[in-house]
Amino acid sequence: MNQHLASPKANHATTVPTPVLEVSALHKAYGKVEVLHGVDLTIAAGERVALMGPSGSGKSTLLNCLSGIEPVDAGTIRVGHYALSHASESELERYRRECIGYIFQSFHLLPTLTAFENIELPGQLIDMPSAERTERVQTLLDAVGLSHRAGHTPDTMSGGERQRVAIARAIMHRPQVILADEPTGSLDSASGARILDLLESLSRQYSIALLLVTHESSATRICERVVHMKDGCIVSA
Amino acid sequence: MQFFTESRVALLLLRKLSLRHWRTSWGNYLVLIAIVSIGVGAFSGIRQAIRAASANFSLFNEAVSGQSDFLIRSAQGPISSHDLKSLAAVAASPDWHLVPVIESSVALLDESGVARQQLRLIGLDLLSLGNLPNFLERGFDISDGNSDWWSALGPSEQVWITHSLAHRTGLAQDDRIEIVFGGLLRAITVAGIVGSPTDNLPEDLMIADLPSVQRWAKRPAELNRIEVVVADTSQRADREFLAAIEARIQAQLPDGYRLEPAAEQAAKRASMTEAFRLNLVILSLIAMLVAAYLILQALDAAVVRRRHEMATLKSLGLSARVLFALNLLEASLIGLLGSIGGLAVGYLLAWGAVHLLADTVNALYFATSTQAIQLSAEDCWIGLSLGMFFSLLAGWLPARDAMQTPPAQILARGDWSPGFAWLRRPQIGLSLLVLGGLALLIPPSQLAGGAKMPLGGFLAAGCWIFAGALLSGQLLTRLARLLQPLSRRAVWRIAVSRLADGSSRHRLAVAGLVVAVSMVTGMFQMVGSFRGTIEVWFDVRFQADLYVSERGVTGQGNVNGIAPDVLHSLSMVPELAFMDTLYIEQVEGPIGVTTLAGADFSIWQEGRVQQIWLRAPGTFTEIVDAQPAYVSETFARRFAVMDGGAVELLTATGPQRIAVMGIFADYGNEFGSAVVDVPIWQEWTQRQRAINTTLYLQPDVAVNTVRDRLRLEYPGLDFRNSQELRTLALGIFNDTFRVTAALNGIGITVAFIGLLLGLMAIFEESAQTWRTLKQLGISYKKLLLTAGIEGAGIALAAYISGTLMGLALGAILIKVINVQSFGWSLLWQLPLGSFALLGIVMVATGFICGVGTAAWWHKKR
Repeated sequence: MNQHLASPKANHATTVPTPVLEVSALHKAYGKVEVLHGVDLTIAAGERVALMGPSGSGKSTLLNCLSGIEPVDAGTIRVGHYALSHASESELERYRRECIGYIFQSFHLLPTLTAFENIELPGQLIDMPSAERTERVQTLLDAVGLSHRAGHTPDTMSGGERQRVAIARAIMHRPQVILADEPTGSLDSASGARILDLLESLSRQYSIALLLVTHESSATRICERVVHMKDGCIVSA
Repeated sequence: MQFFTESRVALLLLRKLSLRHWRTSWGNYLVLIAIVSIGVGAFSGIRQAIRAASANFSLFNEAVSGQSDFLIRSAQGPISSHDLKSLAAVAASPDWHLVPVIESSVALLDESGVARQQLRLIGLDLLSLGNLPNFLERGFDISDGNSDWWSALGPSEQVWITHSLAHRTGLAQDDRIEIVFGGLLRAITVAGIVGSPTDNLPEDLMIADLPSVQRWAKRPAELNRIEVVVADTSQRADREFLAAIEARIQAQLPDGYRLEPAAEQAAKRASMTEAFRLNLVILSLIAMLVAAYLILQALDAAVVRRRHEMATLKSLGLSARVLFALNLLEASLIGLLGSIGGLAVGYLLAWGAVHLLADTVNALYFATSTQAIQLSAEDCWIGLSLGMFFSLLAGWLPARDAMQTPPAQILARGDWSPGFAWLRRPQIGLSLLVLGGLALLIPPSQLAGGAKMPLGGFLAAGCWIFAGALLSGQLLTRLARLLQPLSRRAVWRIAVSRLADGSSRHRLAVAGLVVAVSMVTGMFQMVGSFRGTIEVWFDVRFQADLYVSERGVTGQGNVNGIAPDVLHSLSMVPELAFMDTLYIEQVEGPIGVTTLAGADFSIWQEGRVQQIWLRAPGTFTEIVDAQPAYVSETFARRFAVMDGGAVELLTATGPQRIAVMGIFADYGNEFGSAVVDVPIWQEWTQRQRAINTTLYLQPDVAVNTVRDRLRLEYPGLDFRNSQELRTLALGIFNDTFRVTAALNGIGITVAFIGLLLGLMAIFEESAQTWRTLKQLGISYKKLLLTAGIEGAGIALAAYISGTLMGLALGAILIKVINVQSFGWSLLWQLPLGSFALLGIVMVATGFICGVGTAAWWHKKR
């Protein structure tokens, strides 16, 4: 077992009260431009946090760092029992497969897979047993109200339907945290509202922490806490 | 006005955007330019090489007499020196000189006695005032009684060679060399080197005094022709002047002689290789076509890379037309630079290929040597046009793709693949299939030398290849859909679902590969079938014990053969049961040159000599006033006597008619041959000399022991047993197809590079999918595996479609193009081993290309 990534199962009994996501003194620069200046952020298990801020404030960079896509220059990120600071590429891949769910503004469903297959994919990536996988996909399809669309490919679905599939996909593998990057940004207000309601209910139902990046203050209604970023720093929480 | 504004904008964008991309990715563009250069180079190189390898007749004239203007020939076979007095009136004019010539061939031996090279030996009257100074570079005054001009002739056993021959063989003046002439070994001296090193005289030319050649060749008093050189060479370009000279000579020419312009002879030679050259040009055009496919893939990849830039330009209001023009401009720039490079590459390639092609021409058509490669203005013009045309053709699809790029707002929503709706419609492919079938009904067109151009066959092949390419997308998606239910694991599911979806770019990648695969598998079949047929033919036809020919001579340039006295002495070999001796002579048929052969009909009719009979003797009835003859299939097809009939041939003794009595298989060349009984042949050709003979020994005789003994007794002859002859013939066969094999190799290599570029474009275009998968935590290994499966799937679909089309192409090549072009039927054989190997290599390469592409994308990211 790698020293940076402890097994979640091995520590399960002793780490229940620990915050699920901890970011400490995070620094990130692109060349000479420093984008994140010592970001500190903590999210408890099942907590829903909205992250707001103007363009260029560092929200997307922070999200990319949290998902392990961007390496950090300094500081630590701990999600559950995964410490990302010095993790290798394969360790980061495992972290993304097992620990987080990601929801994109533009859905990013795989265009050639059906709704069922898109949702099933994260389960396949963690080698979830076939029967369990099928049952969970059915459950999630029911939960997002798309059982009747299971065999459809994304190009035949509306934006709202696609985002619901994306949400189901994000929680398929039972992640500890969902990182949602403006999930309602590509939707009309009615569809956006339904997606927010769905996110809230699923977060409650499965006790998954949610970090919601948004520009819309109305979207913060499902969150318990709102964090503001400016010039690469958390300015209020 | 709008056109000018848009042109200005396109040029501005070319400078500000496209060329800046070139600067940042100069390596990519250098490769692209190099690809065009290779394509243009292959075409231009083969064109120059074949010209240099087969057009040395004019050079021969230059070597002999500066340049001949006319040739005088006898209408009754060879001219006799004794008859020259009848030309006294013609020779009297000061306006021209007559140069009597005898032409022969010798094999030059090296120190170990191995035949090194076949040379043409030209016998000239060295007393001819026009020639002697040319050879000895000194003046003579024959009228001066004190002059010792005769000493310049030296002993009779001497020859002059060209600088290029001296350079190639290392021979120098006064060297003693051994040659084989008419089946006899002879030692002679190099009397001198002709011309200067810069003269570019042929390297297979040896010159000797006319009486010496007549004596060596045992052709006393015989001349092949008399060359006529006008005295006032400054007026050569004046057609009226030459026409007047021609008319004057014609008026004085006695009966039994005919006058023909020297250029006509060169044209006749060139026309003999017309089908051969045409086939090579088509093959080299295929190389250009495959290069165009690579350019298409590369430009397409560039369009995908720059899609966001184009989308932004669209959002800023740039018209689709300007984007289209911008991309075509870029393609034409690549074409221009690549073509210029291609001319240089072609020049270099021609140097490499010229000897290869000269060997083939020697083996199949006539004695030839190579001349210096010359890049003419026409070569440059054709090369540039071809490069530009194919680059524009290749750039057209990516340019359309660029034109269809949506504005940035739409593109930002995710993966986007261009429409190319026609790639998804099977109707076009099916129509091309039908069109190809109809093209097969077009009859072949007649070429100048008597060969036929199978236009319909080529058209059908082209239509079917493109039909296969267009329909291959259907096969890809259907195949993937079949596999979909079986693909339960994530990587398989992703890869197979992407193939089942079949984006335009997937279809384009498969289509390009299909073109290459169908051509390669088609060629496999043709070469394999040809080889298989030749082997079967060998097994039937060559059952004699020993095959005898003049030493070192394996090609069509042999004009000596075996001297009659040598042949007679061979017939006295004690172990001999019987001999089958062959006599050949080129004669004029109703359309072009053909071969009139003489053989002992009695042993043919008794079945002691085996043939593969397409129409057995006795099938046709005899025709009054026509001599019975057995003809080759090529002859029968060429002169339309497959169902019997008579053909008139112009022989040395005038027109003679032959009646077809049987048709046998033969794979020598496309001119065909008619075999008559030996006495008839000798009467018609006025010749006695056999080209080769085969010895059938008595039963239980140790063949190799007899062979070894005869080799010692007849050092000027080659004795080969059937196995040795088979090896030699298959060696010639392999040499003949070396160019085809090389072009095949280029085709398949380029196709795989094309696949790699295609996959890169596919990967780049699907970047969002891969990014999503990375976000979902797919491992690097699985990412590579997914891409590998996708690459392998594309290659598999291309292999299946390409092989199916290759089978059709093979059928066209064997059943239509070969029959129409060369007049011979081949046994269609499928080289299943090569097919299977190609399939494995393709799928493996597709997998590797996919993995490589994913690794490249991952590294770049």
